[in-house]
Amino acid sequence: MLLHVCFLLYHNASIFSLPFFFPVLEARIQQLQSDIVLDVQHAKVQLVNASKSGRGASSGKSPKNVSGWRTELLKVGQTGKGGGKDASAYKSRWMEKLIQEKTTKTKKLNLKLGIEDKPVKSRKGKLMLPGTTQKNILTKAGKKTASTSKKSKTLKNQEPTAIQADTMAGAPVAAATVPIRKAKGKGKASKEPAPEFSEARDQELAELERKTEAKAQELAEVEKLEWKLNQWAMSASPELVQDNSEARMYEGVQLSVHCYLEACVFCGDIDRAQRLLLTHHRMISRRNLLNIGLYNVMMRVWAKKGSLNQIGRMFILVEEAGLKPNLTSYCAALECMGRTPNCSPKVINRVLRQMKEDGLCVEELFRLCVFRQDERDMVLRAIHTVEPDFQPSINTVLHTCSSPLVKDFYTERADAKYPKLAFSLEELRERFSRQLSMEQTSTITIHSVEAMKPVTPHMAKMRALLAEQRMVWHKALVGALRESNMILASITPKAVRLSLYPYLCLMDQKDYVDIMIQSLSNLPPSGESLHILAKELGNRVHNKFCIRMKSHNQMVDKLSHIYNEYAELLAKDSKDFDVLPRERWWKLEAEHSSGPSLLGDNTQWPHTVVVELGTYLVDLMVKHMKVNSDILNPANDRKFIPVLYHMYTFRSNKQVGFIKPHPILTQMQQDAMETTLTFDSYVMPMLCPPVPWTSAKFGAYLLTPTKMMRTVVGANQHEILLEKCQDADLHAVLDSLNQLGNAAWRINQPLLDIIISIFNDKGNEKLDIPPPNSEAPKILRYSQQDLATYSSAEKAHLKRELVKAKKKCSEMHSLRMDALYKLSIANHMRDEVFWFPHNMDFRGRTYPCPPYFNHLGSDVTRAILVFAEGKPLGPGGLKWLKIHLVNLTGLKKRSSLAGRLEYANTIMDDILDSADNPLNGKKWWQNADEPWQALACCMEIANAVRSPDPTHFISHFPVHQDGSCNGLQHYAALGRDVIGATSVNLIPCEVPQDVYSGVAQQVEEFRVRDSEKGLKIAQVLEGFISRKVVKQTVMTVVYGVTRYGGRLQIEKRLKEVDDFPKEYVWDASHYLVQQVFSSLKEMFTGTREIQDWLTESARLIAKSGNTVEWVTPLGLPIIQPYHRTRTQMLKGTIQDLSLQITHDSKQKPDTVKQKNAFPPNFIHSLDSTHMMLTALYCYSAGLTFVSVHDCFWTHALTVDTMNKVCREQFVALHSQPILQELSNFLLQKYCSGLSRL
Amino acid sequence: MSTQASKLFVVAVRSACCHPRARPTLKQSASPCSPRVLLQRRLFSLDSLSSGPGRPQPQQARTDRASPSSAPTHRNLSAVAVSVQDQSRPLGRYDFLDLGEVEENTQRAQLCRTIKRFIIDPALAKLVTQHLGPDLEDSKAVIFECNPGPGVLTRTLLNSGAQRVVTLEGEKSFLPDLQALECLLDGQLEVVHCDFFKLDPMGRGSMRPPAMYTDKLFTDLGISEANWTDEVPVKVVGILPQRIERSQLWKLLYVLFDRLSIYRYGRVELNMFISEKEYLKLMAKPGDMLNYRAFGALWQMACHIELLHKEPWASFVTSSKYKLAIPKSRLPNDNLCLVRMTPRKDLFSASLTPSNAATLVMMVKQCLAKRKARLVDRLNMWSPDSGPKLLKEMGMQEDVLTGHVYPEEYKQLFELVDKSQEFTQSWLYEEVLENTQKEGWI
Repeated sequence: MLLHVCFLLYHNASIFSLPFFFPVLEARIQQLQSDIVLDVQHAKVQLVNASKSGRGASSGKSPKNVSGWRTELLKVGQTGKGGGKDASAYKSRWMEKLIQEKTTKTKKLNLKLGIEDKPVKSRKGKLMLPGTTQKNILTKAGKKTASTSKKSKTLKNQEPTAIQADTMAGAPVAAATVPIRKAKGKGKASKEPAPEFSEARDQELAELERKTEAKAQELAEVEKLEWKLNQWAMSASPELVQDNSEARMYEGVQLSVHCYLEACVFCGDIDRAQRLLLTHHRMISRRNLLNIGLYNVMMRVWAKKGSLNQIGRMFILVEEAGLKPNLTSYCAALECMGRTPNCSPKVINRVLRQMKEDGLCVEELFRLCVFRQDERDMVLRAIHTVEPDFQPSINTVLHTCSSPLVKDFYTERADAKYPKLAFSLEELRERFSRQLSMEQTSTITIHSVEAMKPVTPHMAKMRALLAEQRMVWHKALVGALRESNMILASITPKAVRLSLYPYLCLMDQKDYVDIMIQSLSNLPPSGESLHILAKELGNRVHNKFCIRMKSHNQMVDKLSHIYNEYAELLAKDSKDFDVLPRERWWKLEAEHSSGPSLLGDNTQWPHTVVVELGTYLVDLMVKHMKVNSDILNPANDRKFIPVLYHMYTFRSNKQVGFIKPHPILTQMQQDAMETTLTFDSYVMPMLCPPVPWTSAKFGAYLLTPTKMMRTVVGANQHEILLEKCQDADLHAVLDSLNQLGNAAWRINQPLLDIIISIFNDKGNEKLDIPPPNSEAPKILRYSQQDLATYSSAEKAHLKRELVKAKKKCSEMHSLRMDALYKLSIANHMRDEVFWFPHNMDFRGRTYPCPPYFNHLGSDVTRAILVFAEGKPLGPGGLKWLKIHLVNLTGLKKRSSLAGRLEYANTIMDDILDSADNPLNGKKWWQNADEPWQALACCMEIANAVRSPDPTHFISHFPVHQDGSCNGLQHYAALGRDVIGATSVNLIPCEVPQDVYSGVAQQVEEFRVRDSEKGLKIAQVLEGFISRKVVKQTVMTVVYGVTRYGGRLQIEKRLKEVDDFPKEYVWDASHYLVQQVFSSLKEMFTGTREIQDWLTESARLIAKSGNTVEWVTPLGLPIIQPYHRTRTQMLKGTIQDLSLQITHDSKQKPDTVKQKNAFPPNFIHSLDSTHMMLTALYCYSAGLTFVSVHDCFWTHALTVDTMNKVCREQFVALHSQPILQELSNFLLQKYCSGLSRL
Repeated sequence: MSTQASKLFVVAVRSACCHPRARPTLKQSASPCSPRVLLQRRLFSLDSLSSGPGRPQPQQARTDRASPSSAPTHRNLSAVAVSVQDQSRPLGRYDFLDLGEVEENTQRAQLCRTIKRFIIDPALAKLVTQHLGPDLEDSKAVIFECNPGPGVLTRTLLNSGAQRVVTLEGEKSFLPDLQALECLLDGQLEVVHCDFFKLDPMGRGSMRPPAMYTDKLFTDLGISEANWTDEVPVKVVGILPQRIERSQLWKLLYVLFDRLSIYRYGRVELNMFISEKEYLKLMAKPGDMLNYRAFGALWQMACHIELLHKEPWASFVTSSKYKLAIPKSRLPNDNLCLVRMTPRKDLFSASLTPSNAATLVMMVKQCLAKRKARLVDRLNMWSPDSGPKLLKEMGMQEDVLTGHVYPEEYKQLFELVDKSQEFTQSWLYEEVLENTQKEGWI
């Protein structure tokens, strides 16, 4: 230990100039005093320090010694990363254990079976040709254990380092994964038999065995052996996972400390941050939880202050904690030196040398570090003092995605004609600045569509009253917040407990209160659960903080600069580019490398912090927002009553904390009918094309933080996976997201006006326009006396009615509000052109980011959206419009396209009438499946046919092409199931096939059979089995709907049938769901087999303690985040909250969910891949393309092209050996323990 | 004795008229019947001669019965006398029923498809019977036995002279035997295919047996609604299914306060085996901040609760092949407790009626959601400034915690609240209606 300490001091003393030596000493002494372990050396250390230069013989020895294990450690860390799994140091350790276990077991087994070791080995040699990676891991794992056994003392330090190395150094990870990926590719050749995983595998094996007939018998035995080993591997893994989970344990603590420090630093409370880090550091148990990132936070602070002493001190702490400084640490050190005037070049040189010794290079520093403000320039200045000519190289080499599916797309650009937007550069730039200013204010207030209604005097009075009250509340809350902050600040924090204080100082009190008041107006009259309310509030604060942080880091100017140049790519009046938006942005960013990085590095707060902060704010609201009880009714006594109250509701024996508005507040809000709505800025569509996704972390909105992969809050396994991905592998995914986001939209104004007129009138439930609250059933109140006169049965009935009415009311309210938001946003954007930035869920399905108003929404929202860009109909456009209309009606499902067109022509009168007199005419459109879209289409057709030349009519209208039961299509293609494929239109047919009718027919056959047998329910169902009854269930069966869910779906349909006897609904639905399942089994043989294989694989994987992972053909890594539920208690003043966390990767996987969800998730990942491929190739064909999962939209002119691309890409996708690759991947990932023998 | 004899006579005549069907002919057992004492604890198990496997053959057994020493057996003797005269008459209430072999009953219980516990041990059955009342033969209360399974308790009850036993069996497979027994007897036993714990369901699904509405069950049995203050009309005995133990107890509590479901028919007395931990929670006293909750407080308020007996889990036979895991708990949980819950006569009064009782339930639930909150804060929340006044009226300390208030005090408090004008505008009243319904127990 002594040597170690001496080494540290020696090193640091020589790196840095001397003045900071004494504080260091002090710190040292402090630490030593608190550190019992080190206490003994106390005196000696001082001695060494006193000699200053400290190059005594004793210290001379130590560096070698220590660096010896350090480098070793580094290697281990790296190989760990090479394993391609998180916390791999642990993995390698348990692998080692497993291998040992296995070898002994094999030996035993071999003895039993009488097989000599030799043949096994020779077989292995043959089968495992490219086993290089495995070997690597094996040997290095060996080293690792060797080193741990050598020095038990160092073990403690190694652990955090390994973890931290993994989380911090993104780049080496990515680099390290390259060979692995290649090896994976080769891995196909390696033949490990695992019968339960793959039949194909078996076949291959069989072939192999035929070839080597001489050894056939022997091989069979070997296979048996291996199979058994495989079983062991499975059974052994739960233990492994536990090991793994230990490593993950620290993540939570690290994250919360990190966020705490960041928050302290942001609000300028550096003392607090430093104090916290030091208290953690001094307690050995806590110190082990820290990682280098936490020390870096403080280093950056001191670097800003130019305080070299402090930096040196931090370096000592880092060494003492057994951590290794990383790029960011050195970056901070250099920055600090850059800020220090006349910093001696010698010192800088030492830092650089030290960096080199640690295996880090300066180039990497500029490539990988995230810079804020002028940090980069400062670092550069420091380097320039020693190396005046140094210029960080700009890496402009673009890697391309390796997937064969998109090879053409990236390499053959000559023919590509990427679409341009119909805007001039000037316009785009102007739009950008508007969007920027909107995001900077972080909220936007718009007029709701109800503003069109006249204002009555009572409304005016109520509005004034409400406004006045808001002022009062605002003032009260600001005061309360200030006071409570003062109390919080004065409390000396307990050793390691993280208080909320820094999170409450990020902004002015006023800003917090604004957020609180805003949430008040969104509170439904029936209240909201405390958890949800708190989450909302907390997230708002976080969002606002992120935006502040970005402007604080001075990145806005740079963003504007780059965006303005980027706009050239899209503008119609600038030159053509042969690069994609992502590539362009990337290049621009590389060219403008000076200044702060665009990539925000602020971390997502842990969910607990968000909720805790939210609860705190809610508590303030409940306590301090009061109103006079006589405000509405002077007859009441004047009392000061709270506006919100906290109470509990009880749901199946669980008590849920609820925040409810006082009836007085609800009354005021309802009477005032306020016509402004305040939204967070990200709720609105963007006013300029979104920032292209250039990595998984950067893209979409200008300032608002957005995740590329939306996940359950707090789940980070996806992010970890994405980070590990090699950049190039994500390109196709990023580009398709960018393409979807670049589609410009505008509002279909005539239709919006019609809808708003109905909305502001009385709504229309049939047309899906929710009626206002005034139309809701009255909630009757009964006085006690009335009730007493009823019999108990009547009372029960009354109560039931009352409940129904209440439920209906709250449903209506939420529907109404939802529609109000959508329509108001649409109305606000009525003259604008706008964009929807896109991101995706964890399976790769894409979604527009704005939550309320987007093209994924209901019929109503879809109907009011049209493309901003118009294209002439061309020769076939009108035809497509008409066919599209027929599709929207839901009629003629079994007619060919020609048949549908013909049908459309026969009803032209109805169509024109609908277009001309939508509300007063024959109302043909109202009976369509999708009435509003049908109406919009009618209008478009009417305009087109009435134009002088329909082929030149400029149409903005999106025409949809829908997949027919997309899930089944993919299954049929995967299984090469000809019959199944025919029924879902994968094989050309005269007439479109309709799988739902097919299933309905089959079910009907079963029914007839059963009814002849005398089954009552089959007889009752006569004449009731239709396409509609089975459709939803058929559609969802492929997505894993269970019999239970299927029954509910059918029950719902049967209830809609008026003349179906109600008493049989349950039995009938029960019977029908069984029949639907067996019909599907009969019709889609391949589907069931694939599903079963997927399910069984997932079950085994989950049972072995792993989560199911796979990679889509486009290279997107996917992991199923389903784990056993963990409950976390959150203490709060108002109540304790218990959070149910189901995604915690430290928990064992939830086998049932992993198993049930794998087939649908896998199919979703395929359909998303198909969509992305189509999007990409449509882009190079110059098409406007958007998608709603399996429904693709484009202009009428380009439908044919899109259809062609869609088909080609479907074929291309399924020409890949998808299942084979999945099988290989799973074998590689989950059974590779076997290959290490 | 004479009354009994005449009763017997009536029974014989009635059965002759009403049961034209002859009772099933009895197979003569080939094996000689050897009397075997099953368990020492039993008082009069001398009858357990089982004649051959399969169906109980009481007549056969009766003839060989050993000398009586207690009242019931005494009656049995007279029954024997009658039966000798008239072989084809139905069994009277003094005929002694054979309980069957323990092993055989165990096997049958284990065949049950749903996971349940059964009383198979005759001694246990006897014990339960004794607890159901010393005067079974004179009590007018109908005994509902829930899920009897092989029917050991049923027979024991009948043997002890219970006037009227209704078995509510949810499992189809047990029905034939029970129905056979019903046929043998003369109206003392009625068998209904019904699960007591599925009465008045709220969920979806078809209303087929064993799910049932209470009014159908009671109408079919000819039991009419009674006043609350009348004597106990029905005694229910059974084992609360482990999985739904708590929700069942809640459900019963809701219907009790609303006087719905079974409680429409008067103060139905429950004699239920519940797990020890649940019993301890039920009986938790104020001040026990961890366990004293609305659940216990409301039960204590509504019922007179009596612990009759504790029996180790192992004494019960489980239908599952696998051991039914005994739920873990911080509280001791080694036994199943036979608990009697008799609704209090004075539960309802002028100010507390079934129509506003739901508000009381809600009030207690809200109060005891957080036991360390001050009562005065809760009251103030419902009606500002009224807290101190009410507490003063109650004679309570200003700073009393909700977890320190006795169930009875909550009831008084509610009566005061209900009277007070200030609370009429309180949201408390509105809340209640919604929430009890949300639970779904009507």
